[in-house]
Amino acid sequence: MSDIEYLPEYDAIASTMQMYVEGSKHGKSELMRPAFHPNASFFGYAGEQLAVGTQFLFDWIDKNGPAPHIEPRMVSVDILETIAVVHLEVAGWSGSLAGSGVRMSDLFTLLKTPNGWKIIQKAFHWHA
Amino acid sequence: MLQPNTPRKTLESWKQIAAFLDRSERTVRRWEENEGLPVHRRSHEKQDTVFAFRHEIEAWRRSRTKCPGDPLAGEPDSLSSSKSPINGYLIEHDAITRTMHCYIAGARAGDSNLMRPAFHPSATISGFCQGVEYSGSIQHVFEWIDKNGPAPAIEPRFARIEVIGTVAVVHLEVQRWSGKLAGANARASDVFTLLRINGQWKITHKLFHWHE
Repeated sequence: MSDIEYLPEYDAIASTMQMYVEGSKHGKSELMRPAFHPNASFFGYAGEQLAVGTQFLFDWIDKNGPAPHIEPRMVSVDILETIAVVHLEVAGWSGSLAGSGVRMSDLFTLLKTPNGWKIIQKAFHWHA
Repeated sequence: MLQPNTPRKTLESWKQIAAFLDRSERTVRRWEENEGLPVHRRSHEKQDTVFAFRHEIEAWRRSRTKCPGDPLAGEPDSLSSSKSPINGYLIEHDAITRTMHCYIAGARAGDSNLMRPAFHPSATISGFCQGVEYSGSIQHVFEWIDKNGPAPAIEPRFARIEVIGTVAVVHLEVQRWSGKLAGANARASDVFTLLRINGQWKITHKLFHWHE
């Protein structure tokens, strides 16, 4: 990737991730929806239950409510032209479904679309 | 194509950054120069057109440290006050970021004294520069930094911070490196290995790649 491209792409990816973080923090799926591609998929175990589909995520976020103390950290950002992988660690989850002091490890795949970088897949691990 | 940033996510001027941190513009400009305050500049615009991500400023505020002789060094931050295993990851991640900000501050100022505390005394360096392989003591880096001089426009980004117990790997992308040796606008991809010694993260090795 040329010098001119790396910074704007990194920063654009960070902005998309920030939409996800804001939606999580405020317990409002409408804030994070624009970050997701319409065909995005979503997988992970929420306790014993296998959660599938972004609608599960959006419903969960709205039902969980605000998580004002979440501490997100971008562990890695790998950019390969039109695709990217982001590992996000989020500690301090709270809310009616999360409980309190919960840590999640999230892996996102993003696609560079004409409308910007969009999350095409999210897989998560909910730490016991 | 860049995502449009809402006012909530970014601070779009020195004035907004200063207001966010409840300090004067002069203070926040000094913090950028000396303490690694993460301020960015848009490409193809005047040097003084700045913006900052709120989440980065907040993370910096939590982990803020001056580099040598830092009175804040060793002071517990708000996260370490609750030492649950769940917060352990964050504490290490933030401590590593603090060490890396010392390195960045030294690079930006062209002053090896600012970055020295980030390194283990026996740290080494390897890499290619214009086809020539360099490897040896970290002293070479300090000499290069001092000779190169200030690089006020550098834009660092953490591509990876991976913590595995007492070791860590950091991939740092640095653009717009300028100076007597770097030239006008160099890009470096650096991979650092760090070790946690006596509760402090120190760089033990720097592997560098200068892009053509």
